[in-house]
Amino acid sequence: MTLTQQPVARASAPGMASPPQLPRRRLPGLFNAFSHAFLVVWAALVVLPLLWAVVSSFKTDAEIFDSPWRLPATPRWENWARAWNQADLGQFFLNSVIVVGCALVLTMLLGSMLAYALARYDFPGSRVVYYLFVGGMAFPVFLALVPLFFVVDQLGMIGTYQGLILVYTAYALPFTVFFLTGFFRSLPNEIAEAAFIDGASHEVAFFRVMLPMAKPGLISVAIFNFLGLWNQYLLPVVLNPNPDRQVLAQGLAALAVNQGYRSDWSAMFAGVVIAMLPVLVVYVVFQRHIQAGLTAGAIR
Amino acid sequence: MRHGKYRFLAWSVLPGLALYAVFVISPYAQAFYLALTDWRGVSARQKFIGLDNFARLAGDSLFWTALRHNAVMLLVVPLATIGIALFLASMLNLAGRGGRAAIQGVRGAKFYKIVYFFPQLLAVSIVAVLWQFVYTPNSGLLNGALNAVGLGSLTRPWLAVPSLALPAVMTVMVWGSVGFYVVLFSAAMQSIPRDVLEAAAMDGANRFVTFRRITLPLLWDTVQVAYVYLGILAMDGFALVQILTVGLNGGGPDNATEVLGLTLWRNAFVYGRFGYASAMGVAMFFLTLALAALTLRFTRRERIEY
Amino acid sequence: MTTSHLLPHVVQSRRTLMRRAIAAALLAAPVTGSLAACAIGAGDDKTTTVDRGSTSEANPLGAPTDKPLEIVIFKGGYSDEYAKFDEELFRQRFPGVKINHQGIQKVGDVLRPRFVAGDPPDVIDNTGAGRLDIASLIADGQLRDLKEVLDSPSIDDKSKTVRDTLLPGVVAKGSVDGTCYQLNIAYTVYGLWYSKPLFEKNGWAYPKTWEEMLALCAEIKKSGISPWTYQGKYPEYMNDPLFSMAMKAGGPELMAKLDNLEPNAWRDPAMVAAVEAIYQLVDRGFFLPGSEALSHTEAQNAWCQGKAAFIPCGSWLESEQKAVTPAGFDMVVAPMPALSGSDKLPGTAIQGAASESFIVPTKAKNPYGALEFLRTLVSKPAAKKFAELAATLPSTAGGTEGVAMTSGLASVAAMVAAAGTNVVSLNFGEWYPTMGTAVSNATGELLTKRIKPGDWINRMQKAADDVAKDSTIAKHKR
Repeated sequence: MTLTQQPVARASAPGMASPPQLPRRRLPGLFNAFSHAFLVVWAALVVLPLLWAVVSSFKTDAEIFDSPWRLPATPRWENWARAWNQADLGQFFLNSVIVVGCALVLTMLLGSMLAYALARYDFPGSRVVYYLFVGGMAFPVFLALVPLFFVVDQLGMIGTYQGLILVYTAYALPFTVFFLTGFFRSLPNEIAEAAFIDGASHEVAFFRVMLPMAKPGLISVAIFNFLGLWNQYLLPVVLNPNPDRQVLAQGLAALAVNQGYRSDWSAMFAGVVIAMLPVLVVYVVFQRHIQAGLTAGAIR
Repeated sequence: MRHGKYRFLAWSVLPGLALYAVFVISPYAQAFYLALTDWRGVSARQKFIGLDNFARLAGDSLFWTALRHNAVMLLVVPLATIGIALFLASMLNLAGRGGRAAIQGVRGAKFYKIVYFFPQLLAVSIVAVLWQFVYTPNSGLLNGALNAVGLGSLTRPWLAVPSLALPAVMTVMVWGSVGFYVVLFSAAMQSIPRDVLEAAAMDGANRFVTFRRITLPLLWDTVQVAYVYLGILAMDGFALVQILTVGLNGGGPDNATEVLGLTLWRNAFVYGRFGYASAMGVAMFFLTLALAALTLRFTRRERIEY
Repeated sequence: MTTSHLLPHVVQSRRTLMRRAIAAALLAAPVTGSLAACAIGAGDDKTTTVDRGSTSEANPLGAPTDKPLEIVIFKGGYSDEYAKFDEELFRQRFPGVKINHQGIQKVGDVLRPRFVAGDPPDVIDNTGAGRLDIASLIADGQLRDLKEVLDSPSIDDKSKTVRDTLLPGVVAKGSVDGTCYQLNIAYTVYGLWYSKPLFEKNGWAYPKTWEEMLALCAEIKKSGISPWTYQGKYPEYMNDPLFSMAMKAGGPELMAKLDNLEPNAWRDPAMVAAVEAIYQLVDRGFFLPGSEALSHTEAQNAWCQGKAAFIPCGSWLESEQKAVTPAGFDMVVAPMPALSGSDKLPGTAIQGAASESFIVPTKAKNPYGALEFLRTLVSKPAAKKFAELAATLPSTAGGTEGVAMTSGLASVAAMVAAAGTNVVSLNFGEWYPTMGTAVSNATGELLTKRIKPGDWINRMQKAADDVAKDSTIAKHKR
């Protein structure tokens, strides 16, 4: 019943001549209409709550509760100003950029080296190392929080950028290693072999040959890491009590706590949108690469 | 092999491994040890009590309730997510008509792929706050929409009805996850050779048959991986449940949405039983691993070469 | 080529992957002992050298004049501006003390590791969702007895002790087994809120007994307004009216029975009658439909919009609703009606609690500075500033003198004055947090008619019995 019983051709590489026109059977129009409707409905389901959050960020609290479906009488830009100033989102924003940026670079560097070594070399203990990283994805983070605090504290790094950067990196490594190991394994051997024959060192083979080949995978895992780290909340709350070093997620939490007491929902929505925007921009700019990275095994 | 291999391996493996050992493995290892103590989490005082915490776990009815809910989520969330994502992905990549290439995505596929990914961009806490406004009974978006289309009789106080609360939570999880898997499956579908599909079409197979006989088997490995990822997601659910649901610290009404992560958190941070909570964490850890192993085992199929 | 290029290693090694991971995890287990021993408990042996300054009439506690003081304030609904003002008051008297102020949200998350390390701040406002569990702190001996500051002379009137300047119930609320560990600077009382103009317009009079309440509710319902709403997402809000009525009817004996986990305490006739009384509200359809799923803000906003006549809440309601209360709404609070004609406490009796719980850790590095700061916190100028900034009642008697009173705050002050010493409260929820969860769940079910009053009583009796027979839980007596 499976394809193996059918005579099938090997995949043709993309970019080759398009296949010839085929006689196509028309499918029932009803099914098509339904399917298209579902595409539109799902898009609406996804967009509406977000759009609603954006609209709400321009409303007064009374408007949010009285008429959730209506547009604001006048757009209240002051909500945004309040969120930005009161919760000190400007400083938090900068901190988030610094911490997430550095952690991302470090994660990608360490993660790709690790993954490459695990994928392409057989050395004593390589399996153990690999499974240590995989196992790290299955344990609830908050149980590690208190012991983690002591580790960071003993290194004198509580409330510092470098402490947060190292911890972010360490917790982003399991997924990165998991993902990239598979990716490096899927890359062809021949080119690296050719490089070795030409006398390249292992370092050169990695940085000059393999890393550029892995670019699609690197970009997609970097995007996932960016999303995860940007929205990271538990780790900074515990490791980062220093108000000058707090990140955006903490600032948002402060807004959320305040609305629990003062009902300042409009400022909270403004804060939500402010935090959402950079992620949205990064995604829209790089979204092509996500799929490219996931598909990369095929289009190599 | 060539010389310099071990030098290269040393500096490519050791820095990352050291960082991981210090900041991830050592805290987790300590949590494993704490599972054997009566630590309260507010001082250094702790007594070694052996396996008492695990014995207590066996008789903790809330733990088992939570486990049952996680089991339901484990079944429903991945199935629904994968089902919807597969449908959307095949619409976007394979359902189009016309053009020079016979098999392609529908018009606007690119746009849809961008939009569907949006929920993935939001922190869980933001997702929970948004959905609180969707479900709230009197001014909520869901009941408002039902009223608007004349289905006012279907309106409910969603999160306050025990039989609906867990499905409501699972809906949010599916909503938040589908986008990622649409992109993942799209990538896999792109690498299915067109000529295979077109050959099937020429043989007169309709779309359903093509999907069941060709697309799905070729995607099976990817689906399997998706199930494991979604399983890990369904084992958690803590933040969403805690913020979204009814009750003191969430999990209500009357524990109808209690999940393991919440039980664990409540024991540690509200009841001051960190040792006991660590034992729950250890149990969860092995459960997650076991489930992942089981999933991979039971979904095993012959690999398809093409 | 296969489709397994997506994370292919998962597939390639799926049979061994998880088995290996489990093996690796098991390998890690034996080494944990030594690792844990080195990190947790790191700071435990630190001994705190207490340098106490010399005592004088101006400095009766002997706060050192040059030792830094670290203060952590919960920055929630009351913000932390009041604390900054109080720190300024402190600085005027101790200019040599360097104050390190922090305003934070998740008090527990931030401070827990510092307690474990034996390095806590000197003064902590342990408040808000995610505060440190008090029962655990006390069980582990982490909190300082506040007796010294309570027995020291008040800053405003040297002839009185600090204890005497506090409103009734404040010290008791902060005490466990006779030792006061928490100084609550906000005086929170609970009651039933309504809009005075709305009631005057309709000619409704606030009921004195539960019977009158039910009659009034029927009348209100006829006018098209829902008689009650409540913060259904957090059902414990309805426990305040429930226990207020029970305690008025059953008196202090009932309170003691419940808190002391006495056998069959929950089957007390007063307790049963109160549960049955509250059940009438749902049985007769007096709640705003959908209340059971409303968050506190949503329910309170619905009430402010006139969709319901009554809402139960603590005295913070007015300041919480400030931004969304319509002009002329003029909310006021009143004590719960009497359950019967034979109540043991007068109708003016109210349930009081307290918030903004200040604690001083036993391992504080500047404990006498910390105690002196607490003394400053409850002084009259500090209390007035708190009333002004937070629009809530401070724990210090006369703390609202000269402060411009809004409708709600004035009614709170009047209710407190009328209650006198009849301010009651229960402690089981704080002492035994599992019971707090149980009572919240039980009330949520009662108010949706999924359980009957008898079931509610049975559930609570079982929760109490479970705690009573659990030897791992430290017990307290009142």
